[in-house]
Amino acid sequence: MNEYKYSELMLDEYLEDVWKCIRCGFCNSVCPTSNTSFSYMSSKTSRGRIILLQAYFSGILRKPLRDRELQELLDYCFGCRRCLEVCPPGVRIPYMLWRAKHIGRRHNLLNKLIYSNYGSFEKLCSNFPSLSNNILRSRFGKILLELLVGIDRRIDFPEFHDVSLEKWIRMNRSSTSGKRLAYFIDVFTNYHEVGLGIEVVRLVEKLGYSVEVPDQREAGTLLLEAGMMDKAIKVAKENVESLYKYIMNGASILTSSPAAYIALKYDYPEILGDSKSKLVSEKTLDIIELLIKEYEDGEIRFNEKNSGRIIYHHSCFTKASGLTKHIKRLLTLAGYNLIEVEECCGIGGVWGMSKKHYNDSLDVGSNLFIKLRSLSSPVASQSETCRIQIRNNAKVRVEHPFSYISKAIELK
Amino acid sequence: MNGYFNKVSGKDVEFYEKLLGSKNLSISEEELVTNSIDAYPGMFYKPEIVLWPETSEQVSSILRYSYDRLIPVYLRGGGTGLTGTVPIYGGVLINLVKMNKILTVYEEDMQVVVQPGIVYNTLNKELEKYDLFFPPDPSSGSVCTIGGMVASNASGLKAVKYGTTKDYVLGLEVVLPDGKIVKLGSRTFKYSTGFDLLKMMVGSQGTLGVFTEITLRLKHLPEYIETGVAFFPSIERAVKTVYQIIRNGIDVAAIEFIDEQMIKVVSEFKKLQLPESKAMLLIEAHGTEASVSETMKRCVRIMKDNEAVEIRVAKDIEEREKLWAARKGAYPATLRLGKYMIISDVVVPISKLLDAVLNSYEIGRKYGIEVQVIGHFGDGNLHVHWTSRDDKEKIGLLHQANEMLAKWVIEVGGSVSGEHGIGVEKKKFMKIQHGEAYKMMLDVKRLLDPRCILSPGIIFDLEEVVH
Repeated sequence: MNEYKYSELMLDEYLEDVWKCIRCGFCNSVCPTSNTSFSYMSSKTSRGRIILLQAYFSGILRKPLRDRELQELLDYCFGCRRCLEVCPPGVRIPYMLWRAKHIGRRHNLLNKLIYSNYGSFEKLCSNFPSLSNNILRSRFGKILLELLVGIDRRIDFPEFHDVSLEKWIRMNRSSTSGKRLAYFIDVFTNYHEVGLGIEVVRLVEKLGYSVEVPDQREAGTLLLEAGMMDKAIKVAKENVESLYKYIMNGASILTSSPAAYIALKYDYPEILGDSKSKLVSEKTLDIIELLIKEYEDGEIRFNEKNSGRIIYHHSCFTKASGLTKHIKRLLTLAGYNLIEVEECCGIGGVWGMSKKHYNDSLDVGSNLFIKLRSLSSPVASQSETCRIQIRNNAKVRVEHPFSYISKAIELK
Repeated sequence: MNGYFNKVSGKDVEFYEKLLGSKNLSISEEELVTNSIDAYPGMFYKPEIVLWPETSEQVSSILRYSYDRLIPVYLRGGGTGLTGTVPIYGGVLINLVKMNKILTVYEEDMQVVVQPGIVYNTLNKELEKYDLFFPPDPSSGSVCTIGGMVASNASGLKAVKYGTTKDYVLGLEVVLPDGKIVKLGSRTFKYSTGFDLLKMMVGSQGTLGVFTEITLRLKHLPEYIETGVAFFPSIERAVKTVYQIIRNGIDVAAIEFIDEQMIKVVSEFKKLQLPESKAMLLIEAHGTEASVSETMKRCVRIMKDNEAVEIRVAKDIEEREKLWAARKGAYPATLRLGKYMIISDVVVPISKLLDAVLNSYEIGRKYGIEVQVIGHFGDGNLHVHWTSRDDKEKIGLLHQANEMLAKWVIEVGGSVSGEHGIGVEKKKFMKIQHGEAYKMMLDVKRLLDPRCILSPGIIFDLEEVVH
C-alpha cells in the first residue's frame, strides 16, 4: 500500500473533516499555540495545520505525512479542544490531528514503554514515595527524567503521596450502602493529589453515596495527544469494560479530573464508537455535576463565610467539558467574588512538560502568568496539569475548585 | 502571460534576508502552502517566498526591489478573504501580521492609528478602555485584520446603522508598487481637497498599494444594547418586516435574515434550539435604554403585524453573544450540509430584496442545486449559499447559478459584492458591473503599477493591465 493510501486509511472517517474546513480561521482565534510569538507563521497555527492536511490530500504538498518537519508542525496541536466550540462546520480538529500524528509517530522504545504504561510507572514510583520524591526533587533526578522520558528538568512535580487514593478508599470506606458511585480517579489524583480525592469521597459519603474503586488504567489522554492511537484505544477498551460492569450493577461513574471526565464522556465514545462506551459516557458525572444536583435537590446549602476574591482560571479541558457554568455557579454560591481569566497556561497535558515544547508552553502561558501575579489572589483551576504549570510559573496558590467550594458546603 | 514575471532566485532570497533577517522570511514548503489559499473555495497558489516585514520602510524596500526585478508581490493579513486573493503568479507574499501595533489613540478626537496586521477584535478589545469602538463588525472579526478590512472595504452585521469600513478610514500611509510612500487623507472627517485618492484605495484588494498605517475614526460604545429574534411563517413576511422597519426610519443596528435551512444549521452549530420556521430575523438596537426600548417596541409591532410566530429577546449578554456567534459562523457552518458550496455577496436596493431571495431559490431549482439565504438585509446585502452537498459533479452548476444571480442583480441596479470584494472570483463581472468605468479603473491600475507587480490577477486579469 502506498503512503498516500495508507494515510487516507488512517484518517478514516476524519478524512471528511479535512474537507469540511473552509479555512475561516475561527480556530486560530482560540487556539493557544496560534496566539504566541511564533504563530505569525501560518504553518504554526490551527488553520495552518488543516491546510497542510488539505494540501497533502490534494497532492499539493509533496511530502509524506510522516515527514519529520511536517509532523513537528502538527504537534503544535496539543489537544486543548477550544477549537471544537468555535468551529462552525464542526470539524473534529484534535481527533483528526491525532490520526495524522499517528502516521508519523516517532517515539523511542523507552518513551513508548513509559507513555503506554504511565499508570503502572506512577504506581511503581508511588510504592516508594520517599525515594521517588527524593529523585524527583534532585537535580540528578530531573536530568535523568529529561534524558529518559523527555520531561523538561525545570518542572517541579507534586510529590507522591504516602498512600494512593485507591488504597485509602479501600481502607477507609465508611459506607457500603446507598447510591453507588464507581470513582474513576485517574493517575494524578490517585498518586499526587490524594487529599483532594479524600475530600471528595468524604463529602459524597456524607451525602449518602457509597464509593467504590473499579479496576482502572490511566485515562489515556496522553496517548491520544502523542498520536499513539492503537495504545489509546486499548486503554479505552480496558477502562470501558471495567466501568461497564459497575454500571450494570447500578453504579454511576464519578470523576474529579477534567481529563478523566472528557475521556469517558467524549473521547471513548468517539474513538471506540460502541454501545458500551456510549453507556459509560451517559453514566459519567463529575463531582461538580453531582454537587449541582444535590444543591438543586435541596440536599446541600452553602454558608457564605468564605467570601473573598478568587480567580477562576478557565482550563481548556473544563471549557471543553461544559462544566464551566456549573463551577462558576458553585463558586458564586459559596460566596466567592470571581475574577475570570480565560488565557491558557500552555501546559497541554504532557505536551508543555516536554523538553521539546516547554519553552513554547511558557510562551503560550506568559500572559496568564503576568495576569495572575498582578492579581495576587488564590486561583481555582480544575485541571491538574494547569495547576502544576501555574504553581511553577505564576507562583500563586492554586487549587481545584472543589477545594474552595467544599469549605462552604453545609449538609441538610 | 506565463513567463512575464521573474522567478524568485537565490540572490533575491539573499536580498530579502539581508533586509528582514532570517526569522522574517520563509521558503519552507509548509509555510508556502499555508499561505497559498484563503477562505475562498478555490485552488492552492503557492508563493515562492513569504516575508514578514515589521516597518513601512521594509515594505517599501521589498516593493522597490521586486518592482525592479519584476517579481509579483501579494499581500496577506488574516487570510479570511472570500474571493481568492492568493498568489496566482507565485512570487513574494508579504504577510503583514507582524505589523500589528496600535500606534496612537486620539481619545478626544475618537480616532486611532494602527498598523495593518492588527486583528479586528483585538483592536476593539483595546478600544473598550476608552469607551470607543470601530463598528463595521465583519463575521470574521476574531481573525481578520484591519489592513484586510480596508483592502476589501469590509463590513458586516452592523452596517445598516454604522456603515462600512470606508466610512471610517480617515487616513492611510500607502507604499506604492514602486516603493514610494505616500500619505493620503487627514485626521478630519470632512475635506474638500481635490480627488479623493484615499477612498480610491479602500476596497482595492492590494492592487494599488500596501497600507502600512491606517487612521480610523471611531464611535462611542453604545450605552445600551438589546437583541431579539423573530420567526416568521413565510419569507415574504420576514422580508416585508425588514422593509417596513427601514422604510419607517427605525434606528436598528442590525437586521439579519436567516432562512429555514440556515436556522437549522446555526441552531445545530451553537445548540440554540431555535424553532422551525420559514425565516428568522435577528435584530439589534443600540442607544440609551429608553431609545433602545422604543426601537424594539416599534420593531416588535411590525413583526407582529407580519405574523411573527415567535419573538424572543436575549435575556443576557451570554445569550446575545451566542446568537451573534451563531450568525457569524453561519457561512462556514453551511459545510455541515456537505463540502461543496460557494457564497455570493450581492447587494440590491431594498425594494428588490424579496425578488432577490425568491429569484435565488428559483435559480437553485433551475440548476438542481440547494440554496440557503442569509444576509444583512437592512442594507440589502444577501449571502446566497449555493450547495451541492457532497456531489462534486455539480460544482460547475454552483458557479453558473451564482453567475445568473449576479447578472440579474446588476440589471436591477445592485452590486455583485457588498463586502467581500472581487478577488479572482468576481473578475468576470467587472465589465458588466462598471461598463466604461472599468477602463478607467484599468487606467488607474496602469498608472500606479505599470509593471503590474502588485497582486497581479486580482480584480483585473494580468493581460488586461499589461499588453
